[in-house]
Amino acid sequence: MSLSLNQMVELAPHAATDRLDAVFHALADPTRRAMLARLADEPSSVGALAAPHRMSLAAASKHIRALERAGLLRRQVQGRTHLCRLAPGALAEADRWFSLYRRLWTDSFDALDAVLADDSKGPTP
Amino acid sequence: MTETSVEPGVLVMTRYFDASPERVFQAWTDPELSARWLFTTPQSEAHSAELDVRVGGRWTIVDRRGGVDYRALGEYLNVDPPRRLVFTFGMPQFSPGFTTVKVEIAAAEAGSVMTLAQEDLPAASIPPLEEGWRAMFETLVLVAAA
Repeated sequence: MSLSLNQMVELAPHAATDRLDAVFHALADPTRRAMLARLADEPSSVGALAAPHRMSLAAASKHIRALERAGLLRRQVQGRTHLCRLAPGALAEADRWFSLYRRLWTDSFDALDAVLADDSKGPTP
Repeated sequence: MTETSVEPGVLVMTRYFDASPERVFQAWTDPELSARWLFTTPQSEAHSAELDVRVGGRWTIVDRRGGVDYRALGEYLNVDPPRRLVFTFGMPQFSPGFTTVKVEIAAAEAGSVMTLAQEDLPAASIPPLEEGWRAMFETLVLVAAA
């Protein structure tokens, strides 16, 4: 089954690419990746997320906000503590972008392979 | 088979072709050859390719499907036959954004190995790949899918 380019681009509209930009930016930082890895195990308070990183609560909050902006993290207020959870939807979007293009190029390379094979059967130039 | 790998913001695909690097390069840059595989389908009703293959030159491919013209276009950033071709790629009908596609071709065995790398967004500033990053990304994607 082949996916046409226009279908593919419709599936990855511009709004989604802005979001992807935020996701890749958020994921590019090792502290934020460590925070996500921790959240993949269990929801954590802001304090617990900050603890292993030898940083102020304010600095940790900045990282948490970046993750929030990218849609990777959701904050839940429980009394006086803020509980952070992994929100994996944005990662799924990033993965979808890759899947769509991977498929487009795989289909294209199959067609190119056929063109080049055709070539070698015909008269040699 | 096509091998793929994921770096932050970059899709990388590698494939072996049973043809010389010169011929594979030509398949990207000769409009008659590209019309047989690049941004087209066997069902396409009409197709045109204008490829001004030089640094700063533009390319436009129009493919008609279901009575609608789909236009893909961009600019060549690096042209080094038969090893390397770098160009921007966009479809303004759908999105104002352009991505960058890098194609590298090397002789291997009796044919060529071609590697294509596509960035997700021109605006994305992605720091260099760090150890362990990819494994973590893949784990997180698994988490996302669960």
